Amino acid sequence: MSANTGRHFDSVAVGESLGPHEIVIEKPRARAFAAACGMDSGRFHDDEAARAEGLPGMIIPGNFSLGLLSKLVTDWLGAGPGRLTRIGTTYRAIVLPERRLTLHGFVTHIEREARSVEIDVWIENEEAERLVIGTASVAFPPTD
Amino acid sequence: MAVDQSLIGKQFEATEPVVVTSEAIAAYCDALGDENYRRPGPDGAIVAPPSFAVTFRNTEAFFHYTPRFGRGFDAGKEVEFFAPIRAGDSITLTSVVREMYEKTGRSGTMTFVVLRSTLTNQRGETVAHVDHRFVHRNPGEPG
Repeated sequence: MSANTGRHFDSVAVGESLGPHEIVIEKPRARAFAAACGMDSGRFHDDEAARAEGLPGMIIPGNFSLGLLSKLVTDWLGAGPGRLTRIGTTYRAIVLPERRLTLHGFVTHIEREARSVEIDVWIENEEAERLVIGTASVAFPPTD
Repeated sequence: MAVDQSLIGKQFEATEPVVVTSEAIAAYCDALGDENYRRPGPDGAIVAPPSFAVTFRNTEAFFHYTPRFGRGFDAGKEVEFFAPIRAGDSITLTSVVREMYEKTGRSGTMTFVVLRSTLTNQRGETVAHVDHRFVHRNPGEPG
């Protein structure tokens, strides 16, 4: 991803896209994330433990999806004055490692007075199924 | 299972403060693939990415009053960020049951529990609110 020198409020437009960014999360990286979050449940570390719970194999923690979508927004903001103030996520389906995922965002609303921006964010699988959906809010200072 | 509405408002004991280390932030950023947050801020401290707020764990008591049957899952989160988390900060969590409700869909009846964790730093500043939405499939339901 190329460095973003910073997004300013006046340059944001409704309909602007964030991404898409394709990623594949390998199992060691998923385990490292779970460990960094203190999530020691076997379903995040081990295929057999996950299968014992009726899952198809180890899964990506929901917090990882939230982190990736937050990063999608903060990367889009870059080094500019905007700040991620809120993110909400809904985990609609299991996210599995070693699958091609695509991160998407879309500016849905701009509050000129409040200098805030609302963004839809989501993660799709290769079948364009939205596994994780959410919304994020970004705030800009009075002048930037 | 009927949802026990009396649990709404139930407050859990605050966690012991957790001191944020630059190593913990680096481990999180490395796994997330975020290189932007490895550099020090203006005050010289490493600043964590906003989503680092979800890494703080509640005490076991947090889960004691939630329904623990069948297969439980994290259904989603709502996080509000008020102040950055920096290496050297000491973060305490206090949590409360906000909502409990049931939904019936094609796969049966599920109980949703929303627990709010408030993260506070060593200066008494509220750093973030994290609303955890857990879902549990009710016993006797398929799947």
